[in-house]
Amino acid sequence: MSRTGAWSLRAPSPLPGWGLSLGITLTLLSLVVLLPIGALLTRAAGIGPAELWATIGSERVLSALALSFRAALIAALFNLVFGLALAWVLVRYDFPGRKLVDAAVDLPFALPTAVAGIALTALYAPNGILGGPIQDWFGFRVAYTEIGIWIALVFVGLPFVVRTVQPVIAEIEQEVEEASATLGATRLTTWRRVILPMLTPALLTGFALSLARAVGEYGSVIFIAGNLPFKTEIAPLLIVIRLEEFDYNGAVAIALAMLAISFVLLLLINLIQVWSRRHTAGA
Amino acid sequence: MADMTISPPALSAPVPRPARFTRCTDEPRWLRWTLTILVLAVLAVLVVIPLASVFFEALRDGWALAVESLAEPDAWAAVKLTLIVAAVAVPLNALFGVAAAWALTKFQWRGKAVLLTLIDLPFSVSPVVAGLCIILLFGANSDFGGWLVANGYPIVFAVPGIILATMFITFPFVARELVPLMTEQGKAEEEAALTLGASGWRMFLTVTLPNIKWALLYGVLLCNARAMGEFGAVAVVSGKIRGETATMPIMIEMLYNEYLSVAAFTMAAVLTLLALVTLTLKSLLEWRYADQLAAAGGRH
Amino acid sequence: MQIQIDQIAKEFGAATALLPVSLNVPSGALVALLGPSGSGKTTLLRILGGLEEPTSGRVIFDGTDATGMRVQDRRAGFVFQHYALFRHMTVFENIAYGLRARPRATRPSNAEIGQRVTRLLDLIQLPDIAKRYPSQLSGGQRQRVALARALAIEPRMLLLDEPFGALDAKVRKELRQGLRDIHDATGLTTIFVTHDQEEAMELADLVVVMSMGRIEQVGKPGDIQARPQTDFVRDFIAA
Repeated sequence: MSRTGAWSLRAPSPLPGWGLSLGITLTLLSLVVLLPIGALLTRAAGIGPAELWATIGSERVLSALALSFRAALIAALFNLVFGLALAWVLVRYDFPGRKLVDAAVDLPFALPTAVAGIALTALYAPNGILGGPIQDWFGFRVAYTEIGIWIALVFVGLPFVVRTVQPVIAEIEQEVEEASATLGATRLTTWRRVILPMLTPALLTGFALSLARAVGEYGSVIFIAGNLPFKTEIAPLLIVIRLEEFDYNGAVAIALAMLAISFVLLLLINLIQVWSRRHTAGA
Repeated sequence: MADMTISPPALSAPVPRPARFTRCTDEPRWLRWTLTILVLAVLAVLVVIPLASVFFEALRDGWALAVESLAEPDAWAAVKLTLIVAAVAVPLNALFGVAAAWALTKFQWRGKAVLLTLIDLPFSVSPVVAGLCIILLFGANSDFGGWLVANGYPIVFAVPGIILATMFITFPFVARELVPLMTEQGKAEEEAALTLGASGWRMFLTVTLPNIKWALLYGVLLCNARAMGEFGAVAVVSGKIRGETATMPIMIEMLYNEYLSVAAFTMAAVLTLLALVTLTLKSLLEWRYADQLAAAGGRH
Repeated sequence: MQIQIDQIAKEFGAATALLPVSLNVPSGALVALLGPSGSGKTTLLRILGGLEEPTSGRVIFDGTDATGMRVQDRRAGFVFQHYALFRHMTVFENIAYGLRARPRATRPSNAEIGQRVTRLLDLIQLPDIAKRYPSQLSGGQRQRVALARALAIEPRMLLLDEPFGALDAKVRKELRQGLRDIHDATGLTTIFVTHDQEEAMELADLVVVMSMGRIEQVGKPGDIQARPQTDFVRDFIAA
């Protein structure tokens, strides 16, 4: 392919290393990510749509997928609201230990999911430090119920909204909020009509990231969930169970459904970013 | 024009002054306090108490028992395996990250957007699905995997599979840090080095690398934390053979399911300490070298 | 509206931004607060707008003590140095913002808001940009939209912080005349902050020269140029 023609693959550049760097990139990407995913898709194609549908449509699989998605949605919604509040407090308010709290927000990213799983389970189990009192005072159980799944998913998804919204809050010019006030708007109106719209793209991105992470989460959930079929059995766990039964086709079908959900979410994130870039560039 | 002196103004009813002035860019005081306390309380319940409980459970029956559980040969094997996996997976991902960032940020070419999307792919794939994909490609009942096993190179239920699964999950970390930073830095400095007669490698080592070293370290740090702690993908491909293919997180699960709570939480405490060290180093990098880290939001 | 500043002082922590200063701005005047950066001129303007609280002293609007009045109630048309347009709203929505923010009882109908915005766009001679976003405007256009937005609330005064600071020389000259025209058409008491003495002398009826939190001299442009009262004023207008 010509390097300078109108249809060349890349614009001419004096810098070296394009071939080498792209070679390394594509080799590793293929070996680690693309070929394995390709193997899944090939296998799924081999199974055929009829059997795939039958597997995905079975009651146990459907309820597992629905649970994974529902719990992820609930956790992501909580994180959306809580993440916004936390990010606002961290950027705008000053209190002793703020930097420490800021660092602690990343703990769910840094802590292995299995560790989070057993720690949350120990706390919220009926004999745990928090689980016991909750059962005594409020009369419901957390661990080994869907509520436990929510808590685990809130934990793993916590940093996403905070970390996407925080830099955007820091960049809001105070002048804009002042302008709103001089035009007669109350603080609430300023929030509703000026601040929230400016944060919306970042909020949606953080929400989608948190949701995507929660839908596929496994390690932190299986300890606290109880894993009862039809009740507290999440989709990733069902894949593991199918694998242990050597039912590869069953595992592939569920995985395919989960991949489809992930891709829709990924697409959503990209659309949001394109949409938000359109009107807010410059100014 | 009118006179400029202040005649003592004859006042009609003055607007009463509020006891405390609230800046128009601030929320009212009571709301600020409520919000701060609420947010900190939720964070304590969700993050701080679980963290403390790991150490509490580990030391429940005293130091001696905890230390003893770590000295078990299987526990040691798990620690060693985790270190080996990270020692292979992290440098390879760092190499990938630098190469991908170089190709993506220093050149204009068709297909960049596609590559960027593909790099982010692992973020939206469930770890369990990632593990399944690796089994389907390299497992003994696939054509390729069967051939590998027949020739004495098993991948699934062996260390290479664990490394691959770990790499899959941590794949975007380094590239994600470097791409925004190197985009911002442009390529003028590299071009200057070339005009001054530097070779390609010399330019990379003396100009590019110093410019990205803190961001690279940052990415490696996050990548390493996730690599040592990965559970879902590794659980699927490891086969969970005690002393051979059980990493620390896998060992935690096995011990926990055997009701060896102290042993499980002791190993968890070791990984928690690692997480705390990671967070400390990360915060230090952020405070010190904020300007040399990419200003990208959405850290993972 | 007549604006009286009575012994206003402002401290930020240990730093003093304004020594007690007093000033009487007659109704309908076009006043320049002129001085180098750090002279306290912007702080004084922000105190008038209610964006800062004075440490001591009083602000009196038409004989009423307004020192503690909320920003929202002052109806001060404030134009910010970087315009502070709402980037996620069209020009139309930016200008309509203050009207829509009113409580339901006093809020004009949509048709009325539409008419007012159209009139204001005509006033700033940009009738065709209602549907555009701020990012699609030139610097001069943004400045005029910010002015229209401030005028939409039927302000009692106009306060402008370095209104032409971010513009190139040619646009600056055009917009100076624009501000003069709008001032003359509306008759609003107008105070603007500038560090550019040529701008102050050319545009204002009355120039207030400030330095280090103090008012050095107040007078008509010609008087200040002919009879500077302090060394600072002499040096500053010579520069």
